[in-house]
Formats: sequence, C-alpha cells, structure tokens
Amino acid sequence: MKNKQITIMLVTLSFLLLVGFSVQAVAGNTYNLGLSLAITGPTSDAGNPYSKGVEDYIKYANETKILGDDKINCPIKDDQYQTANAKRNFEEFLDEEIVLFLSYATGSNQALAKDYTEEQIPVIPASFDKSLISEGTGSEYIFLSIPSYSHQFVGLGEYVAKHHQGGGTPKVALFIHPSAFGRAPVEDLKSALTAGLKLDVVEVVEHGKDLDNSALLQRLQSKGVQYVICQTVQSPVATLLKDADRLGITAKSFGEKGKITFMGAHYTGGADLIALAGPAAEGFYWDTGYRLTSDEGPWVKWQLDFAKKYGRDDKTANSHNYANGIMAAQVAVEAIRRAKESGKAVTRESITAALNNMNGDKTYETLTTVGPVSFSKTDRIGVDYLQLYVVKGGVFKSVGEPFQPEFLK
Amino acid sequence: MSESRWLATGNFFTSYKAEQRIFLTHIDRLVFICFMILLFIWPLFFKVSNRYMLVIDSILIAIVAVYGLNLLTGFAGLISIGHAAFVGVGAYTLASFAHVLGTNHVLITHWWPLMILVSGLVGAVIGGIVGLPSLRLKHLYLVIATLSFQMIFQWAINFMQFFNQGQTIAIGRVFWFTGKVVRKQHYFFWYYVILVIVVILGFAARNLLRTKHGRSLVAVRDNDRAADAMGMHPGFTKVYAFALAGFFAGVAGALHAYLWRGVGFESFTLHHSISYLAMAIVGGLGTLVGSIVGPVAILVLELQVEHFAEWAGHFFKAIGDVATAFRPLSFGLVIVLFLMFEPRGIANWWRIVRSYFKLWPFRY
Repeated sequence: MKNKQITIMLVTLSFLLLVGFSVQAVAGNTYNLGLSLAITGPTSDAGNPYSKGVEDYIKYANETKILGDDKINCPIKDDQYQTANAKRNFEEFLDEEIVLFLSYATGSNQALAKDYTEEQIPVIPASFDKSLISEGTGSEYIFLSIPSYSHQFVGLGEYVAKHHQGGGTPKVALFIHPSAFGRAPVEDLKSALTAGLKLDVVEVVEHGKDLDNSALLQRLQSKGVQYVICQTVQSPVATLLKDADRLGITAKSFGEKGKITFMGAHYTGGADLIALAGPAAEGFYWDTGYRLTSDEGPWVKWQLDFAKKYGRDDKTANSHNYANGIMAAQVAVEAIRRAKESGKAVTRESITAALNNMNGDKTYETLTTVGPVSFSKTDRIGVDYLQLYVVKGGVFKSVGEPFQPEFLK
Repeated sequence: MSESRWLATGNFFTSYKAEQRIFLTHIDRLVFICFMILLFIWPLFFKVSNRYMLVIDSILIAIVAVYGLNLLTGFAGLISIGHAAFVGVGAYTLASFAHVLGTNHVLITHWWPLMILVSGLVGAVIGGIVGLPSLRLKHLYLVIATLSFQMIFQWAINFMQFFNQGQTIAIGRVFWFTGKVVRKQHYFFWYYVILVIVVILGFAARNLLRTKHGRSLVAVRDNDRAADAMGMHPGFTKVYAFALAGFFAGVAGALHAYLWRGVGFESFTLHHSISYLAMAIVGGLGTLVGSIVGPVAILVLELQVEHFAEWAGHFFKAIGDVATAFRPLSFGLVIVLFLMFEPRGIANWWRIVRSYFKLWPFRY
C-alpha cells in the first residue's frame, strides 16, 4: 500500500515537473537590457523622468506583447552622473548578459566607448554628443536618438542668420558650459562660419556658477550683441534670463532691435527652464528633436494618456525628458522586434544589424519625435530633424516646420 | 632570559635592531604569509563578477595612494588636500604619452611597468615642487597651498586642449608574456599586478620608516626645531615627504589609468582628495595598517551609501536631491565620529586585537 502511494506521488511529481518545464518553454524568452543614468546627483532632474520613460515603455511593451510571448527585463541603476559608477553598472549588466545598453552622460560614454566596441554591444545614450559616433573617440555601436548638440547649436545659428532683420551680420555671443560638452559644438559652429554661415561671433562665454550675470549682460550689450546662443544646462540659462529680464534687455520678439534674443540647445530648455526662470523665460528659443505636450498634435494625448496609465504626475507626463526615455526604449524594443522577426536569434549582433537596417522603407515612426528614426552603418543619428520652439504664455510652442541644419547635414 | 620569537607577551627589546624588526614575532610573519597566500589564491577558487573585481582593484589602487598620503600627513605631519591631483599627475603622465605616441604605442602596451615607474617619478617631481611652500608655510596655510595645487591642476586639465579638456583620453590594452590581456582577463590581471605593487610598496614604506630618512619624517612632525638641532634638515625633509607622497600617488594614478583604460578629469577632483584624507584618518594616521584598512572601509561604505542613495532616489524628488546628500553626509559623519571617538583610526582596533592575543589567556 505504502509503495503504491509513493509511486503515485512520484508520477504526480514527474508530471508537475514536466508541465512546469513545458510552461517555461511556452513562456518565451526574456531579453535583458540595462539602463544606467543619474537618478541622483547632477542632472538627475533630467535623469529621473528619463528613467521613468524607459521603465514605463518596457512595461508597456511586455503588457501589450510587442514581442509576443517574449519579455524584456530592463533593470535601472543610478550612476550619480559619475563615470566610475557607470562603468561598474555596465560591468554588472554585462554579467547579466544584456543585449543592449541604455546609457546616459557624454563623459561615461566616452570612457566606455572602447568597451562597447570590444563587447560589440549596441548602445543608445541620452547624450547627443557628436564625439560618441566619431571615429577615434566614439564607437560604431553607439546610436544617438536625435541630432547632436552640434546640430542643435549650428541649427540655431542658421536660424539667426536666416531670420535676422535690420541688415548687417547678426552679432552673436555663445554662452556655454565650461566643459567639452559645452565647447565641442562651438568648434562645429566655427567650421560652419568658415564654410560661409553669416554670423559675427563676438564673444564665447564659459559660465561659472555665477548667481548674477548683470555685468556680463551689460558687456554683451555694449558690444552690440543681439543674440545669445546657449549650450549648457537649464539653471545657468535661467539665471541669465532672469538677469536679462531685470535689466529689461530681453527681446520681446525675435531679433528685436536694441535687445537680446536668447536661444538654446536641447538641455537648456523644457518645462524645467520655465519653472526656474518663470516669466523671464518668455521669448526664449529652443531646439530639440522631441515633440512637446505643450504643443498641438496627436502625440499630446498619447503621451499624457501613457503617463497616466502608469501613474505619473503632471510634471513627469509633460517632461520632454520623459518623452526622451520613452523614445530610447521604443527604439530598443523595435530593434529587438525586428531582430526577432528576421528569424535570427536575438543577440547583440542581430540587434545591431536591425538598428543599422532601420532606414529607407524600414524607418521607424515614433510619436515622441519630430521625424522618423533611421540608422545605417554610416548614419548613427536616429531622428534627422530638429524643431524650433519659443516660450509663449508660459509654455513652449513650435515655430515653423522641423528643419535640418544646412551646414551639418 | 632568552626572548621568545613565537609568543612575545611584552616588549622585551634588547637592541634598536630588535625594535625595528618588520615582524616582531614568528606568528606575525606566519599570519602575514597566510594572508598573502589567501589574497593571491582566492580569485582562483571564487568567481567574482567584473563589477566587484573593479571595486576590489580600485580599493588596492587607493591603498597605494593612501600609503603616500599617510607618509605625508600621518608620518611627516603635513596635511595635504591635493592628493587626488597628485594621483591625477600620474594618470595624466600616462595619458600624455598616449596622446603624443598613440593609445596603443608599444611603450604603453608592452613597457607598462616602466610607464608606471615613470608616472611615479613625475608624481615625485611635481610633489617636490608643490612641497616647496612647506619650507615657509605650516598648518592651515600649507593646507591652502595644497588646495591651490588641486585647483590649478583641475583648471589646467579642464581647459587645455592637450589634455582633451578633461574628457577621456584612452589607454590601450597591455601585453603580458601570454599575449594581449583581453577584456575577460583584464580585472584579474590588474588585480595581481596591483596586489604585487601594494606588497612591494608596503614593504618599501615599512623599510623606509626603519631608516634615518623615515625616522626624520616623524622627528620633523613631532618638533621640527628639535629635529633641526639634531642635525636633520626640516625643509629638505618636508619637500622630500611631498615628493614621496607624489611618487606613491603617481604610481596609483598610472594604475588607475591602466585599470580604467582611460583617463578623465572627474576621477581627480577635490572630492577625491577629501576621500583620500578620509581614508587615511579612518584607517589611522601614522600607521601602515591604517593605509590598508582605511581605503577598504571608506570604499565599502561608499558602495553601501550608493546603494542607499539609489534606493532613496526612487522615493525623493530629484529637485530636492536629498539622496545625493547622503554621500558627503556619510563621509563627514564618519570622519567626525572617528576624530571624536577613535582618533587613532581602525588601525587602533587592530592594535587592541593584537594586544589581546599577545596576553592571552590572561585578560587584556
């Protein structure tokens, strides 16, 4: 009797094990990604919504079965904007056999570029620094989401040259971050000047941690500067705008005579700038490759509904950095989907190939960006267009159609 | 009464030579040998992820740097808050070679022991130059002088095109007898290299302290006028202490550059200088054991604080950046607590443990 019971138990156990393994087989594969970024520390105001964008879209992809029964696992690690931490996180992700890496800062990507190449791992950074895709300093495995800082900077310069009224060559000052992040686009702008861009760059200002820019602004005005193009982060720009507003020298309309029009590249703008500068942000021009919820279009409802679905607050839902994170995750998921669709195993190699083939009739449309995403072996900038925005009534509104800088095509 | 070399229950030195022994008892030597064997063989038995090997290697590099800082601050009594800049000098010496000759030049990839030595020597020269103000300055004024060097270093690296304005300058992979050290072997290879350097430099420092040159550091620290009266040259001793610290830091910088396969400005900031000082204080100023346990304690603490900040970052709004404050807060707190309650550092705990076993089975 006892033997019989044991036999039944063993058979049942074997059956359960068999079912268990079968279910596991049917459940599909899990692909590991990794995201390392600044959740705390410098630039965490951008990193936080970015991480939420990635987190939500990965959840969405798993819930809506974009990859069928396959799942994506994407742990998020804080690197505190430090290269050392980013490297540690990257090593940990490699141990977890990730197939794609979502990275963050320019500095850490530059430091890891050689590792990316050795590991042959596709990387989508939050940085848009041109050096990351340049030979020698970058890696052929890095794919930038939108046009580089240099494109954004030169694009603003071209806009000034094209729309300046009042005759003569427009006088411009460049207000930049005291690092390679700030300086690199200046070199590209200088190349554009040599190539024929009609601007008179009067002064290049590397800002410090000044809390008052009155002297600077008065000096610029005494030199006849009409436009200030910024390549830095939001807080120094907010200080600059507030001081200009206090001095009454901010242009009410683009290129207003005797006043200064302020403009900036991707990381200078967004809702956070308006929150910091308040009414002084009115009339600030900004270019980026992302759509904004303060503008009009089908993406507004989509992004707000998407954020609501995952319980995000208004600030996050309306953040362009949230859209930035969603977009990075969208591209990653789409590349995995295409790699899977090609019939090959989903590996770093097949995902890189899928990204490099994302062109022609295979470009990828996202609602979060102003143009489709396309990559190839020679073009590792996803969205090729930029959109100019201006602050009107406390929000950013688009100006004209998306454009490509002529001198950096 | 003949002295037992196995179990000394007290200090029964009968000569200066006996007092200056590296290992006071055979048990000390045995424990040290066992510990060394353990350090050399454990990676062969335990598989550790690259993430943790990177942390372990970084701790060993910090030990090399703190050896130097401890000689300067602990033994010579000259406080420096520019030690990370000295480490940076070593790293940027190597980066300069890579910049001029190429990332994968044979000097960088094959002659790396020579490059590490050269980086150390450049660190010593710069250390000596920075130490010149110590001829006229003391205490807080000297601290400001070292702070100035830190600032000048940061400014120079951040603005000079030659140094890539602080952005990463890549360093090529090195070669060993078996060929190129590939990515898979990288962290283990450098673990052994750095460990050997830690042992060699540890013995070097210990032996130095047994010589008149080492003892003059302590003499000048305790009373430079008395040291002068006894025939020592306080000025030269101070400059030479800076040069020594610069050498150790330079070696650490070169090791850092090779381990991280690149040199970037952000690893050599004022924050890192304060971290090195924290390591020396927490470990125990004026002790070699402190130079070893200090970096271990601080870097492990840093790792734990990072984990905590990461966890807290999910709950606190980024704009307040409260989580970011945990790191400096924890450092400050640890230093203050040690200065208040254990000014002799963790090394003193080790001394107490040793004393306990020395008298065992009698009560300490």
